[in-house]
Amino acid sequence: MIAVERSVPPRTLSTRRRVKDRAFTVGLWVAGVLALIPLFAIVGYTLVRGLSALNVAFFTQTPTVPGLPGGGIKQSFIGTAIIVGMAILFAVPLGILTAIYLSEYGNTRLAGAVRFVAEILLSTPSIVAGAFIWALVVVRMGSFSAVAGAIALTVLMWPIIARATEEVLRLVSTELREGALALGVPRWKMILRIVVPTAGAGIFTAVMLAVARGLGETAPILLTALGNDFVNTNPLQPTDAVPLRIYNYAQSAIISLNSLAWGGALILLLVVLSLSITARVLSDRQQRRTR
Amino acid sequence: MAQAAPLPPGATTVGSRRRSSSRAADSSFRWGTLVIAFGLIALLGLLLWVLLAGGWESITKFGFSFVTGRDWNPVTQAFGALPFIFGTIVTSVIAIVLAVPVSVGLALLLNEVESGWLRNPMAVFVDLLAAIPSVIYGLWALFILVPIFDKYVEPFLAHTIGHVPVIGALFQIPGGGKVVTGGNLFVAGVVLAIMVIPIVTAVTREVIAIVPHDLREAAKGLGATRYETIRMAVLPYARSGIVGATMLGLGRALGETIAVALVVGNGLGIGASLFRAGYTIPAVIANEFREATLGVHRAALLELALILVVISLIMAALSRLLVGRTAALVGSGPASAIEAGEAAGIVYGANVGLGPEEDSP
Amino acid sequence: MKRSGRFGAAIAVSAALTLAAAACSNDNGSSSGGSSGSFKGAALTGAGSTFAQPFYAAWAQEFLKVEPDAKVNYQPIGSGGGVQAIANKTVNFGATDVPLQPADMSTMTGGDTVEFPTALGGVAVLYNLSGAPNGVKLDGATVADIFLGKVKTWNDPEIASQNQGTSLPSTAITVVHRADESGTTAVFTQWMSDASPEWKSSVGSDKAVQWPVGQGANGSSGVAAAVKQTDGAIGYASQDYAVTSGLSSAAIKNPGGQYVSPTIQAISAAGAGLQFPISADTNILNSSNPAAYPIASTTYVVAYVTQTNQSQGQTLVDFWHWGLTKGQAELNALNYAPLPTAVAQGSLSEIAKITFNGQAITPTSGT
Repeated sequence: MIAVERSVPPRTLSTRRRVKDRAFTVGLWVAGVLALIPLFAIVGYTLVRGLSALNVAFFTQTPTVPGLPGGGIKQSFIGTAIIVGMAILFAVPLGILTAIYLSEYGNTRLAGAVRFVAEILLSTPSIVAGAFIWALVVVRMGSFSAVAGAIALTVLMWPIIARATEEVLRLVSTELREGALALGVPRWKMILRIVVPTAGAGIFTAVMLAVARGLGETAPILLTALGNDFVNTNPLQPTDAVPLRIYNYAQSAIISLNSLAWGGALILLLVVLSLSITARVLSDRQQRRTR
Repeated sequence: MAQAAPLPPGATTVGSRRRSSSRAADSSFRWGTLVIAFGLIALLGLLLWVLLAGGWESITKFGFSFVTGRDWNPVTQAFGALPFIFGTIVTSVIAIVLAVPVSVGLALLLNEVESGWLRNPMAVFVDLLAAIPSVIYGLWALFILVPIFDKYVEPFLAHTIGHVPVIGALFQIPGGGKVVTGGNLFVAGVVLAIMVIPIVTAVTREVIAIVPHDLREAAKGLGATRYETIRMAVLPYARSGIVGATMLGLGRALGETIAVALVVGNGLGIGASLFRAGYTIPAVIANEFREATLGVHRAALLELALILVVISLIMAALSRLLVGRTAALVGSGPASAIEAGEAAGIVYGANVGLGPEEDSP
Repeated sequence: MKRSGRFGAAIAVSAALTLAAAACSNDNGSSSGGSSGSFKGAALTGAGSTFAQPFYAAWAQEFLKVEPDAKVNYQPIGSGGGVQAIANKTVNFGATDVPLQPADMSTMTGGDTVEFPTALGGVAVLYNLSGAPNGVKLDGATVADIFLGKVKTWNDPEIASQNQGTSLPSTAITVVHRADESGTTAVFTQWMSDASPEWKSSVGSDKAVQWPVGQGANGSSGVAAAVKQTDGAIGYASQDYAVTSGLSSAAIKNPGGQYVSPTIQAISAAGAGLQFPISADTNILNSSNPAAYPIASTTYVVAYVTQTNQSQGQTLVDFWHWGLTKGQAELNALNYAPLPTAVAQGSLSEIAKITFNGQAITPTSGT
């Protein structure tokens, strides 16, 4: 980043200019504080309300009859693992291969178009991905299902992985590539054996960010996976997910269900934030190394 | 920084006498990746096609009156989307009006002010804000923010700004009541503002970072204060990029679903007051899509999805072009600036192995 | 290059979706049939009415004791969703509080359907008003005026005149209605249409209507939650939601001139009017019985006559057979009323029409 020295105003500076400068700096700090209040408020409230909901039953039981206390959301954790796991299976190869094309063969006009589309696809509203996959998959398959949820998440995760991975592939040095080619290694082998492993940590980071996004998405799951009160491991059947359960229980007047929602939110928040922090640490390290 | 210049396709260097099978492997690998990459474009095409085909019944039945009609009436099968379009625009505008000053201020604080040890943690925290799932924003807003706004913030605004002529109408409590109750457009806009701050901040930071040092140094050399330096040397160059950042934030705000559906109130009214229950396009899709039994109703919802995705994509495209303009203005490679801005803004503000000083290929 | 690019795109997209496509033909059943007696059941999915969710969820839990593998996953997405889901065959059964309409019938993609009631319930007009007792008295016209936005405060003369001796605060009324398509809404708006010509002409009745005022909430539980969060709010949902949420419900004036609360006795009293065959306009609103709660409703299950999976078909028949016999005894504790005996018999004979492979499916013993 840019190191800016503290501006040292000449002594002749008029009071008015100095006051203006001060006021401006104070304004910037106010903006900084305002931006961070919500983060602490959200994390704080989720911690306090969520912790009181956590107990063994929370992780090991399925929901009770509404109105009766107790029960847990075990099926949501299992469902999220299945849905997001499948989404990773779909999106990671697609994203990485797209990235390889963009970074290794990507000087064509088509590549420019792909890059542009990938970038704007990042702004696809998540509910639209859900409606799209409902029409394309759920109706045709004749069932809400985990796999439909995974495909909806793939629509969101594919462009994220593609663009982020492209950037890390580009960081791999030219010398390394040329050296390999000079030794007679075929280009495709050079890419898969040298470029991709060299960028491994960066690619892993990109995948983690995409997974963090997928884990928290509610809207696409709402229209595709439906939800389930029981543990379901059949990918072709309706399946629960943690964000979906939070959404449903948030809209309940029953306090024990609200509390389960906060518990789910706490776990989700911890997982997503630790993924993001790890990704950031890894990418900082990678940047330092490649520079 | 070292930048791999992609070799021309099929380029062979020293050991070029390879067996043809290895060349075939190379070529098929290249085509394979091309096919997958092009799949992304096909995906966008398919998405638009599915929504267009699904919404066709509504498009042909209502024509342009779909976006001007105020009736959304499953009883009479009359569908006009104005209440949702109104609510979507109002909440997004509130979000942008609140978020952009804060984001630009924060970006300047992080990039232009030597904020000591706080700088790095602050940057990390802002990025983390982007990582929080929207359902958690919604849960928090529903149980914490809405009651606080009901009890304190909205009555306070109504009793102060509410008396100011013209804009006061925005802050009056609907129905002449004394208290505001439950979800409404204003609180939804505030939640959206919190959600887009990290995105607008990240892109703004990248844009500010590509303004050349010389400009700042020159301004300082002339004796400018920090404020004057920023105003004269930084902001003029960054302006179109900041507009681009705003566009990206706006695109995100328009499409946000879950957090908004939980707090916007889901009411069809259109009126001056921001404290009334409203409805947005993503929220109505989330609420009604699974149960739209009859063809026209579902078609109308798919048409809404189509409108939403087209607007979001246009915003994203505009944003990319505007951020690119800043880069062109300051003379650095436009492509790198766009990439810098987009990657940073989109992948949750965390720079995945990409710094702003990245050179262009 | 361009040509093969386009061709490639098709491959890429289909690659992403191959799994889904391949999955279409797969058998959805998770558990094998087995001989009757040791039949363990199969996983079923149902969706629809949020009105019925409390007792369907309870039945599903209880039924696991009968058939341990019969995980009956019921998702409360609203009656409209239930009808759409069964029409698209995305679930094993749909649930709706209003009978199938002729327009719904034409959307069914799986052939003939059976439709049968499972229990009786009351649509409670629930409210949250500090400083007011449970059982505020309201007549149909007043409720309609509230939902029309004409009656704006709790001490409006229209309300006060029916509640002499009770002092009601001047709190503003916040109307909460459903945001999704709901059978409860259909029942409630039908009742308001009967009570108020203005409601009938300006709004009408359906599973979703264009609400003149108020805010929308998702599902019955969403309505209860929104009402609970807001002082002065009024909404409508099955009486069970009022009880589990700790909300008050209004005493509603019935055609006999009595103000009646949605107790189980009052709901049962309304049920006598329910008769087979079920037609599009079957309802049990405004019973002439003076003890009856006027906004009483039943709730229906819709399933296909022709089942395509043996173990799921068997489980479907067993589950509803059990619900209509042994399950009825559990309803009181959940604030619903059992069906009159004759109606339950009618429902059972509907279930008897369900077939697999041309053979009627008989309920497994023990259910």
